[in-house]
Amino acid sequence: MILAITILIGISVIMIFPIGSQAQTEENIFVTHSGAVVKTTGEVLDPLYTSATVEFDPMEYLRDFNYGRISQLEDGTVLREYTIIANDDEIMEVSPGIFYNVWTFNGTVPGPTIRATEGDIVRVKFINNGEKEHTIHFHGIHPAGMDGVFEPVGGNGGQFVYEFEAGPVGVHPYHCHVMPLEEHIVHGLYGVFIVDPKEERPPADEMVMVLNGLDTDFDTENNFYAANTIPFYYQHHPIQINTNELIRIYVVNMVEFDPINNFHLHGNLYKYYPTGTDIVPSFYTDMITLSQTERGIMEFEYQYPGKYLFHAHKVEFSEKGWVGIFMVNENKEGTEDVKYGS
Amino acid sequence: MEVSNTSSKGKLIASGVIPFAFLIILIAYIFGPGSELLDLGIPLPEITMEKVDFLDSEIQVTVRNTGPISVEIAMADVNDRIQPAAVEPDRYLERYETALVRIPFEWNDAEPYIVGITIEDGTRFEKEIEAAAPALEPSFELLGFFAIIGTYVGIIPVMIGLLWLPFIKRISKQKYHFFLALTAGLLLFLAIDSVEEALDVSNESLAGSFNGVLLVATVLILSFLGLYYTGEKLVSRAKSSRITKPVAIALMISIGIGLHNFGEGLAIGAAVGLGSIAFSTFLIIGFALHNTTEGLAIAAPMSREKKVIGKLAAMGLIAGAPAIFGAWIGGFVYSPFTSVVFLSIGAGAIFQVIITILKWIREQGDKNLSSAAVASGFAIGMVIMYLTSILV
Repeated sequence: MILAITILIGISVIMIFPIGSQAQTEENIFVTHSGAVVKTTGEVLDPLYTSATVEFDPMEYLRDFNYGRISQLEDGTVLREYTIIANDDEIMEVSPGIFYNVWTFNGTVPGPTIRATEGDIVRVKFINNGEKEHTIHFHGIHPAGMDGVFEPVGGNGGQFVYEFEAGPVGVHPYHCHVMPLEEHIVHGLYGVFIVDPKEERPPADEMVMVLNGLDTDFDTENNFYAANTIPFYYQHHPIQINTNELIRIYVVNMVEFDPINNFHLHGNLYKYYPTGTDIVPSFYTDMITLSQTERGIMEFEYQYPGKYLFHAHKVEFSEKGWVGIFMVNENKEGTEDVKYGS
Repeated sequence: MEVSNTSSKGKLIASGVIPFAFLIILIAYIFGPGSELLDLGIPLPEITMEKVDFLDSEIQVTVRNTGPISVEIAMADVNDRIQPAAVEPDRYLERYETALVRIPFEWNDAEPYIVGITIEDGTRFEKEIEAAAPALEPSFELLGFFAIIGTYVGIIPVMIGLLWLPFIKRISKQKYHFFLALTAGLLLFLAIDSVEEALDVSNESLAGSFNGVLLVATVLILSFLGLYYTGEKLVSRAKSSRITKPVAIALMISIGIGLHNFGEGLAIGAAVGLGSIAFSTFLIIGFALHNTTEGLAIAAPMSREKKVIGKLAAMGLIAGAPAIFGAWIGGFVYSPFTSVVFLSIGAGAIFQVIITILKWIREQGDKNLSSAAVASGFAIGMVIMYLTSILV
């Protein structure tokens, strides 16, 4: 009897305290949101602080404007020619360790930011190298046949040329308009089209931020949110700007599934021009709310150097990637003398 | 003669092997390299979060790859908010391999949480915890606590039930059969209860790839067959040894009940481990009431024996003590898989005991199972158990 009980206890103890895991040689350390330091013998799963190995560079995209190939028509009008190639078979690492089938214009999500001046003729040669039908639908003013809705372009090399006069002034999205539309947009077939006024805006450090989301498991809810696709990227790689220098951001909300998105700036307020169609700002605020494809232009200057957060104040979105940092550096050029605009 | 004998043996082997060889060729043809007959579609990855522990400023998730292909864990979130985390030993999981995901998180007591794990293809899996409670850290104090609970739930009620022995001893053969049938009724209820519990656990926490229902059925039938075989051996040997048939039957009942009590212990331990205080209290009270009837089940077949006190005490321990081990395991190393397996073994054991009791009543009682005593005993047994189960 005693023997039996001893054996039972012995077995139980072994089952309760399982054998320790194999000896590990390496120890990793990482820091959490709240600053806690965690040591682990395993791997770190960390979309925030590990260096992103992603193929798409949001920093390069931020200030990359495509003005097209410029020539003049006989009547003196400026002609800008662009080539946009659609694809739908690329697998991209969209966050460390997570691979997603992106549908791209010119190989990136978002597609290229194309830019023209009001009244220019915009000619976009569209090539569809994907498997499915795609189009480009530009927001703005143009003839019916150039709308990218009733002219689907077949895959595997189908072509179409969109041509129209640039206008109105402002910041506009463009996107594929093939049904099911939501699928084509959430996979990444969109970009930004900026129309500059003939009389230029004051000089500034300009950037474009496309607020977007990725539904990586196809449940019609976004798994990630970001400014320019890669979650947490600008938090890990702060955007370098200068004090007393005008910053102009072209913001476009391309989030699907959620009714709103927003943009909150820390330690500052910005002048906001909805859709960028007016030359006079409508708001002076640190927080705007954007519905789908709502967009606008923000202008601000930082007075004090240091780190400032910007993020969706819909906190869910910021905690799923739509968060970044402006690293404001002391402007060494003596900005007192610099005058913007008139 | 010798030559023909060898050749006939050769023929025998050949006639056994040739169909087998054809079978292998067939399978090679269907599944072999280059075979395009079967296109089973794209295998989808699947992981199961088997356990979520709340430690000091940290949530630990035990993740098992339960899909057909290997996976890489890429990200962790709490309530759908992405959190930096660590995965040990590494993020690559082969089939059925487990990893521990450690998520630093300042969680709050008794609040619900949904923990999510995203794998490399962007698929997110989640598990909801109804109320966060600190994970039990193995300590001798807790070991003792579970031992006491196990004693209260398992050993003491069974022993109390055994006190019915003198009563059963004095009653007529008819009433004795009634009590044996009552025992079978009690046990049948327990067996169904165990199966239900096993199916519940497999539904809630066991990965689909384990085929929960089939796992329960397989384990149940295997344990039934195994115990049936050894039980018959034990009884047939009883004739030629010091063990009498009633003792052998009572012993089998004890073992069956022991396995069942082990499952009850698991349930209590797991409930305490998950921090559901109210639920674990109910379980303790309910099981304790239940288990006194188990003592009756053991006492009934022994009632015609003499000098049984020592044997009964031993059987009471066999039936009751596993509750302690169950509570330890349930509290410290709970896993849905082992839980389902133990509950199914318990159910199989009980079914075997029921068959044995019925056979015995039939042998003793004029080859008749349809007497009023048997039928009413069986029915009342079920009803008693049902009524006590409402208390759980």
